Amino acid sequence: MRVRAPRGLTFCVCLSMQCLGPPGKPTLTNCRSPEKETFTCWWKPGPDGGLPTTYALYYLKDNSETVYECPDYHTAGRNSCFFNKNETSVWVNYNITVVATNKMGRTFSDPVDVDVAYIVQPHTPENVTVNVMEDEGWPFLRVSWESPHKADIRSGWITLVYELRSKMEGEEEWEEHFPGQQKTFNIFSVRSGSSYLVQVRCRPDHGFWSEWSPTTKTKVPKFFLGRSLWILILVFSILVVLILAWIIYMNCHSLKHSILPPVPGPKIKGFDHQRLKNGSYKDGLGALMIPEYPPSSSSNDDDLLVEYLEVFVTGEQDISMEEGKEIQDHYCKSESSTCDSDSGHGSCDSHTLLIDKCKETSKDELNSNCEDASEIIELEISQNNQDEKTLSYDGRPDTCNGRVKTWPSVFTPLPQYTLSAIPQKSSLEIVKQHCLSDTLFPPGSMSSNLVNQNESFGPSYWEFSLNSKQLPQIHSQSSKHLQAYSDINISKKDNEITTLFKSTQYVEVKNVNNKDMVLLQPVESGSQSHAEGCPHVHQGKDYSKVKGVNSDKMLLLESGVNVMGQETATCFCDKSETNAMKESGYMSSANVWKHKHPPMQTVLPVQEEQKPFAANGYVDTATMFSVPM
Amino acid sequence: MHRRTVVQRGAWAVLLWPFLFTKCIPLDCQDCPSISQEKLLDRVIQHAELIYRVSEESCTLFEEMFVPFPLRLQRNQAGYACITKALPIPSSKSEIQQISDQWLLQSVLLLVQSWIEPLVYLQTTLDRYDDAPELLLNKTKWLSGKLLSLEQGVLVLITKVLNEGMVSTSYTEQAIFQYDMQLDMLESIIKDYTLFNCFKKDAHKIETFLKLLKCRQTDKYNCA
Repeated sequence: MRVRAPRGLTFCVCLSMQCLGPPGKPTLTNCRSPEKETFTCWWKPGPDGGLPTTYALYYLKDNSETVYECPDYHTAGRNSCFFNKNETSVWVNYNITVVATNKMGRTFSDPVDVDVAYIVQPHTPENVTVNVMEDEGWPFLRVSWESPHKADIRSGWITLVYELRSKMEGEEEWEEHFPGQQKTFNIFSVRSGSSYLVQVRCRPDHGFWSEWSPTTKTKVPKFFLGRSLWILILVFSILVVLILAWIIYMNCHSLKHSILPPVPGPKIKGFDHQRLKNGSYKDGLGALMIPEYPPSSSSNDDDLLVEYLEVFVTGEQDISMEEGKEIQDHYCKSESSTCDSDSGHGSCDSHTLLIDKCKETSKDELNSNCEDASEIIELEISQNNQDEKTLSYDGRPDTCNGRVKTWPSVFTPLPQYTLSAIPQKSSLEIVKQHCLSDTLFPPGSMSSNLVNQNESFGPSYWEFSLNSKQLPQIHSQSSKHLQAYSDINISKKDNEITTLFKSTQYVEVKNVNNKDMVLLQPVESGSQSHAEGCPHVHQGKDYSKVKGVNSDKMLLLESGVNVMGQETATCFCDKSETNAMKESGYMSSANVWKHKHPPMQTVLPVQEEQKPFAANGYVDTATMFSVPM
Repeated sequence: MHRRTVVQRGAWAVLLWPFLFTKCIPLDCQDCPSISQEKLLDRVIQHAELIYRVSEESCTLFEEMFVPFPLRLQRNQAGYACITKALPIPSSKSEIQQISDQWLLQSVLLLVQSWIEPLVYLQTTLDRYDDAPELLLNKTKWLSGKLLSLEQGVLVLITKVLNEGMVSTSYTEQAIFQYDMQLDMLESIIKDYTLFNCFKKDAHKIETFLKLLKCRQTDKYNCA
């Protein structure tokens, strides 16, 4: 039943300055249910029109036509209607209207539809307590509360979710947390020594939030660092102290030096006090001395006849030191071996740095090695015994390692080869031997010295121990002399046998083996034919004179032989001495070999006894052969 | 989304697979693997909660999309009462306290079964609207699928709790749902809106009943 109330104002009868009329229209403000079992509706009355007005609430349930009136106007206070449990139906639509009545008339409010299930707003949570607890030295807050006492959570009638907020005293913004349906919550980010404020509220799963609970205040006591933190700090500092101590201990010396630098003592560079004390500096000191020249061999019985001519063919100059350690070793060995007392080796001491290096090697060792070595090619210049001018090779240890040693001219020119007693003849030309050696032929430094081919010398041959590279190419076309020249500038040329060999030794190319070695053999036939000792020397063009070493480290030979003492050359064709020298020497052509040659093995069965020398042995050389260095 | 529904149904079927056994195997089976009653009740409650939440979201979506402002507060328009109004279902806590567990479950079952058809109808009507959002359609479909799963769960629960046989579904005959397709747009909207609201309400009822039942099962004497 709806009654349209006339507007009160129109019927206002002004009596004594008061407007009287029907009441104004009330309005339902809200209806709330705290626990979904009861609910209350409040209205706001309109102007009462100056007359006492009564209000009544009527409702309809679920679109039925029955009108009910509010059962309880007082419980919930003024202008309210309270529905108790019996009258509350959930999931039922209430159509509520408030009517204001006074003497003048009635006024109805606008109807409102209410479903209790959707107007639930619980009370605030109760008994909110905050406790300060400790977790391994760190404080935290534990908040706990209870549901509003009327809400029936236990039976499941209502399901509540909670919300919590906290802030530090003095802060402006709250920090919100959602415990869900729990009733406890831990706040961990807590600073010790400050106060905290906490509030809780709740809400049904479909409904309105409750009011915030009254603020609970807690003070967090000041934790002066938890015990565990102290332990951690202690351990850490101990570690740091230990590390520092260890570092100082390790650098004790350097620290000492930097703080208290030691007093320097007198010292000569390169001078070893100990050795001086030990007296082993004889040789060393000897190295400092300029060797006498002519060598002491001149004081030998055979005066300037050097018994052995050792020709060393080494590798490249730059890598000479290392390469072929064997070369050096050979050098060393031969060097030391050359330093015999009785064969004019006095001059050997000062020779090259190579020699110096070799000083350390024990001579005995070398000698012993030498004696047994049979594969070592030796350059032996033996004098033809016929004329007693042969250089006899007596298997000196020096020659056992027989290398063609060539010494750069920069060094003191001394024959590096040991020569056996060579009958010295004044007529003997200076035999200069050019040993083909990379190391020993610095470009341009090669002094082409003529080697006396010396027929006067007996058949002599030398064996070359070739190691890689720089061996003059053997040109097997024409028999040419290969004359070893010692690159020694013999200033003194009295007898000039400072070196070597008196007679020209010739070898010819036998073949080239698989090791890139050119095998030479003494030209026996020729020599044999000239048994009387007339070597074919200087037949035609003879390119056996070393012109020099060019920049490519090529050994340049030139035609023409500056033969000295040609006339005195005698043919020493000692057949008997030609025995095993077939393979004696070999020279590898520079052209053929590349730099990276494997070191040539000298395949020379060196005979201890004699190294017969094919007087007519020719080493065919190319017209121009170069020794790659 | 059909695939998604199938997947969801499959998931629920996997969850409730013991129910299949209960249907196929005689009830007096002693060694049958079965889920405990508590767990089953929990799962059913979770189902009901989820259905309520989604129905609430769907109703809000529909209201924002289609319902004009003046009509929004008036949930129960004249002529469109909730379809389940006629069902004998308790509507207050005091009433619920007076009924037995069996009756509580039966009420739940009634509600669930009565909403299966209307949800299908809702899906078809939503297709008629031009600009129905995809989300709304998906939710509606999801709801109808979930409701079926819930029905199965409640059936098993009834069997367990009550130790009774299968409950006949005769009640569904009473639920008469009017298919009226000759409505104009506004009326259709109002009707659908009413449907959404009623379903939301009933979903909440189902959830509450089940929770009350749970309390009764676990702690009989302290439940209000």
